[in-house]
Amino acid sequence: MADQQAADDVDRRQFLKVLGVTGVGTAALTGCSTDRVAKLVPYMVQDENQVPGIPTVYASTCTECATGCGVHVITREGRAIKLEGNPEHPVNAGTLCSRGQAGLQALYNPDRIGAPLAKNAAGGFDEITWEDAIARLAARLGQAGNRVAAINGYGPSTFSQLLEGMVGQLGGTTVSWQPFAREAESRANQRTFGRDDLPAYDFGVARYIVSFGADFLETWGPTMEQSRGFAASHGFNDGTMARHVYVGPRMNLTGANADEWLDVAAGSEVFVALLLARAAAEAKGSPLAGDLARWTAAEVSARTGIDAARLTRIANEFAAATPSLAVAGGIAAQHRGAIDLCHAVNLANVAAGNLGQTVNFGLGSTPTAGYGAVQGLFARMERGEVAVAIVHEANPLYAMPKSGNFQASFAKVGFKVSTANVMDETAAASDLILPNLHALERWDDSFSRPGVRSLMQPVMTPVRPGMHTGDVLLKVAQALGGSAAANFAEPSFEARLQAAWTVGATGDFPTFWRTSLARGGVFLPAVSSNPTLVDGAAALDPAAPAFDGDAEFTFLPYPSLMYHDGRGANKPWLLENPDPMTKITWQSWAELHPETARRLDVREGEIIELTSPHGAIRAQVYLFHGIREDTIGMPLGLGHTEYGRYAKDRGVNALDLLGAADGQGYLPYVATKVSVTKTPGYRKVAKTEGNPRQLGRGIIEQMPLVYAAQGMTPEQAYKAAGGETHEINPPREREAIDGWYEAQKEGWKLGNYADDATPKWAMAVDLSRCTGCSACVTACYAENNIPTVGEEQIFKGREMSWMRIERYWEGGEDGAPIEARFAPIMCQHCDNAPCEPVCPVYAAYHTPDGLNGQVYNRCVGTRYCSNNCPFKVRYYNWLKYNESAWPEPLNLQLNPEVTVRARGVMEKCTFCVQRIRGAQHKARLEDRPLKDGEIVPACAQACPSKAMTFGNIKDPEAKVVQWSRDPRGYTMLELTNVRPAVTYLAKVVAQEPVVHAADEHGGH
Amino acid sequence: MHKRFLIGLGMVTSVALGALALTSRDTDAQQPAATLPAALTAADSAALKGPKQPIFFRHDIHAGQLKMECQYCHYTAAVSTEPGIPSMQTCMGCHLAVAGKDSTNRAEIQKLRTAWNEGTPVEWVRIHSVARHVRFPHSQHIKALGPNACASCHGNVARMSQVYQVQNVNNMGFCINCHIERNVTRDCTACHY
Repeated sequence: MADQQAADDVDRRQFLKVLGVTGVGTAALTGCSTDRVAKLVPYMVQDENQVPGIPTVYASTCTECATGCGVHVITREGRAIKLEGNPEHPVNAGTLCSRGQAGLQALYNPDRIGAPLAKNAAGGFDEITWEDAIARLAARLGQAGNRVAAINGYGPSTFSQLLEGMVGQLGGTTVSWQPFAREAESRANQRTFGRDDLPAYDFGVARYIVSFGADFLETWGPTMEQSRGFAASHGFNDGTMARHVYVGPRMNLTGANADEWLDVAAGSEVFVALLLARAAAEAKGSPLAGDLARWTAAEVSARTGIDAARLTRIANEFAAATPSLAVAGGIAAQHRGAIDLCHAVNLANVAAGNLGQTVNFGLGSTPTAGYGAVQGLFARMERGEVAVAIVHEANPLYAMPKSGNFQASFAKVGFKVSTANVMDETAAASDLILPNLHALERWDDSFSRPGVRSLMQPVMTPVRPGMHTGDVLLKVAQALGGSAAANFAEPSFEARLQAAWTVGATGDFPTFWRTSLARGGVFLPAVSSNPTLVDGAAALDPAAPAFDGDAEFTFLPYPSLMYHDGRGANKPWLLENPDPMTKITWQSWAELHPETARRLDVREGEIIELTSPHGAIRAQVYLFHGIREDTIGMPLGLGHTEYGRYAKDRGVNALDLLGAADGQGYLPYVATKVSVTKTPGYRKVAKTEGNPRQLGRGIIEQMPLVYAAQGMTPEQAYKAAGGETHEINPPREREAIDGWYEAQKEGWKLGNYADDATPKWAMAVDLSRCTGCSACVTACYAENNIPTVGEEQIFKGREMSWMRIERYWEGGEDGAPIEARFAPIMCQHCDNAPCEPVCPVYAAYHTPDGLNGQVYNRCVGTRYCSNNCPFKVRYYNWLKYNESAWPEPLNLQLNPEVTVRARGVMEKCTFCVQRIRGAQHKARLEDRPLKDGEIVPACAQACPSKAMTFGNIKDPEAKVVQWSRDPRGYTMLELTNVRPAVTYLAKVVAQEPVVHAADEHGGH
Repeated sequence: MHKRFLIGLGMVTSVALGALALTSRDTDAQQPAATLPAALTAADSAALKGPKQPIFFRHDIHAGQLKMECQYCHYTAAVSTEPGIPSMQTCMGCHLAVAGKDSTNRAEIQKLRTAWNEGTPVEWVRIHSVARHVRFPHSQHIKALGPNACASCHGNVARMSQVYQVQNVNNMGFCINCHIERNVTRDCTACHY
């Protein structure tokens, strides 16, 4: 049973407890549980701020993308165990996306490099000492003269200033570059406004949002801030909601959250933007109207193939809304016409008067040099003009298309240095690897936008011995001597950082420094300064963008919500967390419209070969209604040839089909045509969905705005739209089950069970706010020690996701528009829980405070409970995941407050009972009652759109009570009479009500 | 930590004075013979109940004779789920000054000082532990039962020359008996999650 399995192993919790006392510990176990012999190793000197058993929280900054969200690092006994958003940080205000949370798995990655590595003659690597490594780098730099170059993927910061300063001192160049750098937007801004910075977009006040391929809920821009704004405007508030239209050849998650998807071909989005600009200019009396007059609905309809009446309606709606917002610049529309598209969107925003309303220049980020610059640097390498290249926080040999031969150019550099702390593609091609400390182990800062200066501090002893690249550079400067040594004389990067922060410090510096560290940085309001259009900007006459090749299909590689530019691919949480649109885990796939697949005679899982003028790749087919029939989509981020055990040789790299040609300063991702060849291969798609359709079960309810605004319930709305009267249970049956339920409640009063003072925990989820982003799922994995099971086990349906995002498709057939509906589904903690009475050993039982308890050490693994659960939220440990899922040092991430389950045990969502008990304990120690909102389960904490609330349903003041009483509230699968503790608030859609067919109920 | 260190030194002084007073009437000491401190040497510890520890640390001297509060050393027990094993610095707070009264004491204290000087923590043998699927919040129990709650589970440590298990704390019946007696929660998820 549960406990015996691990008898011979190091007992994890004991181990952690020992660790808790020391940081270094050993434990030995023998025989049965009462005979344990373990060692207690005390601290030598105990940190005053560390109380064993109580988490210490440090403020830091996320480095998983360029946004720079503030994080709170929860540490226990000197180990970081969870990342949460920093509520004080202006960008993310306490929330954190999946990628940010998975930063922990970069910290504890089992493939981290533990010492400097030098390439040997055989092409392998030898470990060398740091002294040796620094001496080698200094010697090479000394010889290189000005033929030094650096590629810096780390954004504006004191560190980047140091790197640029040092390389500049030597006469070299530093190129700052990250993939997805929004170069096209920046260039369009230069063209239309004469400035190349990126504005901040306020989705929260916009009443009509049109996105042209900008996945603002996924990877484009500060997604946490944008999700928050989108939920505020597009969620249902007092009878109103903003509308959102997504324009592009593929419906991504952002598109799935739109009220309308305009499936124009890649390259023709610009005409829609110009139509919006014209309509807005005319409606608002803008002087641009004259230049834009030619973009009539008829003209745009002719160019895009979209019905003119539909275009007119959208244009008029956009023009009538104040303020509105149009955005562009995502990878999904980064074709050769991307600058024109962003230009046209700028015109639309200017014409609609959105500058200063929803578009605020001066508050956004400054652009990096981008793809054009890094490509230029590789051209110099190719010509042999670079003697020493330093690559920091970037992996160009993965993230740039192979057709550019960058690998060969890089090889021509005399001495290549990488600071990667896992062996990525660029590091593997380098001569010297100087593993940088992870962001949670080092002093650093980040200036992600005006007014926001975020700090990082070491929250724990480095997991693997490494050295901050800042310290490496300072030591190298000393070794170089001369003016480098004089200009970079600080003894450590920490000293340099503090010195840099004295500028702008207020009051006494040590106090300022401590306060800034505790807050996570200094956050000052920035002033927006909005530009005016340069003359003649409105006279835009875009040409159709060119595509490489003339094959049938447009190839659409798009950034993955989980893997981003590829850096997420070595983190098991991100690999296991399904892509919310396709529900696929651990794999790459090619998305084909079902009609296309029918024509090509391919089925899901069959392997097709995609061939472009630049290369060919094979991938398995996934059928997807949300893509145009002439387009084939594929997520970016997999197909690594290095990058550790999880990423290496997993999936395919969509970039292999792309050309590397630049010309406009950005990588045109959507610029190739591909042909499809069917191959005999087949590989099962590792997806976690069951049936993709609701089949009339009404699991995720939706109602039109007009009815929601009148305070109708989903049922009333269904009837109002002409749906047949639908009784979940006929009156006699209702009477019977109600009576039975009351009798049950009487039964609960027996013994010392719940009394009136005992809380009853409940949750409410507003589906109008939920976007399906899956941050809650990652948070649940992190909080509850949920094992990742891997592709093979997913094939067998053995994923362990206590919390999952269910995605159901509606429409998509017979000309009906395809719609996705999302709902987070966790244990519903039913009052009449069907899992409880079938457990032969009382492992599943009801707690007095309304939880559906699961006692691991009672469970014998009959799995009756799971068979009886209508929501399928119970997960069974088929294998010893407790031993396989966390190879060292990933196990250090485990939350010591939650038992790690052994083989043969059923497990499920507990409503984060450890947080409930923790808060109750804290309140009791402080002799006070619990406050509403004090208990926040991990999912609700992470949620970027604040779609979940948790509390005591018996407390009339509790937010969860207000939410649950909303007319939109319903419980899932009501006909089963299980009485869940989770209330869902029906999603509200802006569309006009559709009269229901009598036989269909699921749509209401 | 410096604060505790200083408090420790201060306490040493007072304890030393107390010890002087005790020594002056050594023969009158009302200690039961079985736990008379001076009668035991480290070599005897094998014969005593409980596992032999790397240092023959005498709870009976510290908590019994010197009447130090449990929470002086195990200072997180009242505020945290974890009681905390005192750091080496906490020991040295007193033992920087207190070298021991007789040769056996001195030998044991010397082991501590050596460990401190060498920077290697003493690896104590663990006596009490609960299964890994159990949460036992020390702070809640001290809150409910008062500062002398420790003895309920750990026995009268103040009388133990070498600590041993008095109650099988890993037996749920032991927990439940007390919870029934005091009519407090017997919900599974109070401890198991």
